[in-house]
Amino acid sequence: MDVVMWLANNVFGQPAILIGSIVLIGLLVQKKTASQTISGTFKAIIGFLIITAGSDIISSALTVFEPLWAEVFNLESESFSGYMGQEAFTGEYGSAVALAMTIGFIINVLIARFTRFKYIYLTGHMMFWTTTIFAGVVVQTVADVSFWELVLFLAVIMGVYWTLQPAIVQPFMRKITGNDNIALGHTSASVSLLSAWAGKFLGNKDNDSEKIKVPSGLEFLRDSNVITALTMGLLFMTGAIVVSFRDTAGAQELVASAGDQNFVVYALIQSFTFTAGIAVVLTGVRMFIGEMVPAFKGIATKIVPGAKPALDAPIVFPYAPNAVILGFLGAFIGGLVWLVVLGNAVGYVFVPTMIVLFFHGATAGVFGNATGGARGAVIGGFITATVVAWGQYIMVRMLLPDTIPDTAMWAADSDMFILGPIVKFLSQLLFG
Amino acid sequence: MKVLTVCGLGQGTSLILKMNVEQALGGRGIQADVEHTDVSAASSMQADYIITSNELAESLTEHDATVILVNNYFDMDEINQAIDAHMDS
Repeated sequence: MDVVMWLANNVFGQPAILIGSIVLIGLLVQKKTASQTISGTFKAIIGFLIITAGSDIISSALTVFEPLWAEVFNLESESFSGYMGQEAFTGEYGSAVALAMTIGFIINVLIARFTRFKYIYLTGHMMFWTTTIFAGVVVQTVADVSFWELVLFLAVIMGVYWTLQPAIVQPFMRKITGNDNIALGHTSASVSLLSAWAGKFLGNKDNDSEKIKVPSGLEFLRDSNVITALTMGLLFMTGAIVVSFRDTAGAQELVASAGDQNFVVYALIQSFTFTAGIAVVLTGVRMFIGEMVPAFKGIATKIVPGAKPALDAPIVFPYAPNAVILGFLGAFIGGLVWLVVLGNAVGYVFVPTMIVLFFHGATAGVFGNATGGARGAVIGGFITATVVAWGQYIMVRMLLPDTIPDTAMWAADSDMFILGPIVKFLSQLLFG
Repeated sequence: MKVLTVCGLGQGTSLILKMNVEQALGGRGIQADVEHTDVSAASSMQADYIITSNELAESLTEHDATVILVNNYFDMDEINQAIDAHMDS
């Protein structure tokens, strides 16, 4: 029993060590060289620890953003406090998330092996965030869920989702790519489908987006750091200017929190801090996913003959580069509209995450263009913003308010919002 | 030799490109350290070669590395041709 306890405390209880062990096994199975094995294992561990550090930076900037816009809309803002937060959550449940991801992937490989759904999900960072968000929903719903119950429940949901999601989207992927070699493995699949359907009815297929000339000056939009800083900067500044002209107690308190700094400058720095936090987290995710996915893929291709890789959303971008920009524009307009509407209607400050608005709006744009031309692309973007805005509100307020609302504000995505209530229902049913 | 594969977010797509590039290099017996990253980080990283798409390459023109263009990150033929055109094995 001592050995079991020791393992529980030092391996399964330490997410970074657990991730390192999984990568180590994956690399050993593939007979990598000693140098590759050591560097891969170390980078996976370091990467995982970096995420915690970045999460802290993001939530510090969000604690300024939320009250700032709450003041703009005159909301009673008490919501953004008293939650667990990504940092503490990873400490307590990170191991369950890492194991659920690994077992979920094995389930995905097995389903692909024995059914006609030959899709292997390889978008590692979305695998991580989806499992994390769903873990947040389960822990919120049933606080005393046991470690293995949580792991197995999530693993089954993930394994099934990772196999079926690419299968459902594949008819449209064949239309976009013109072949059947690659699949979409991404949590924006639901908005991509909605866009393709909406494009059919509301778009005009003859007006293909690729006939339009888009100014090359818009290429900087593809850089996630630039676009996040740009939009968050715009929103922080707008909020700060409005608040600077207010006399209310809340406004004065906010302005005072900047100390000697000019409040608008303070807000601008916060927007860049938020972006920096995301860059840090993504660096961490890149480091550990970069080691984990090749290990996964090597194993999967050995076991499943004829497997099709389900890949990250930007793989569809080269097939319709203009639709990418149009999809983003639709999502951006939608993001601003819903920021104002949600603020006034339900008193929620929507955090329009630029990674979602650009990369996911763009993907929906490509799907919308495939069925509805340029108009379909813009509508696809708008649909993305709509699902993300209302989904974020429901997720943060109702599905995981006490666990990781901070993570849901910037890392959660359309499929998670749509499946979230099902995960909540099932966990109530099984563990309630 | 250091090779960077680059996409906008530096997460999934550049990772796929990295795995494909490693496969292509391995087939030619070229020893290289391939890393995937986002376009902002790439501009401040040391590298001999950067492999990326046409759109992102425009932000990397100042870089000392040889920039190799690949538009379809999943097309092994295009990756093989691009490597043959720029690297000696």
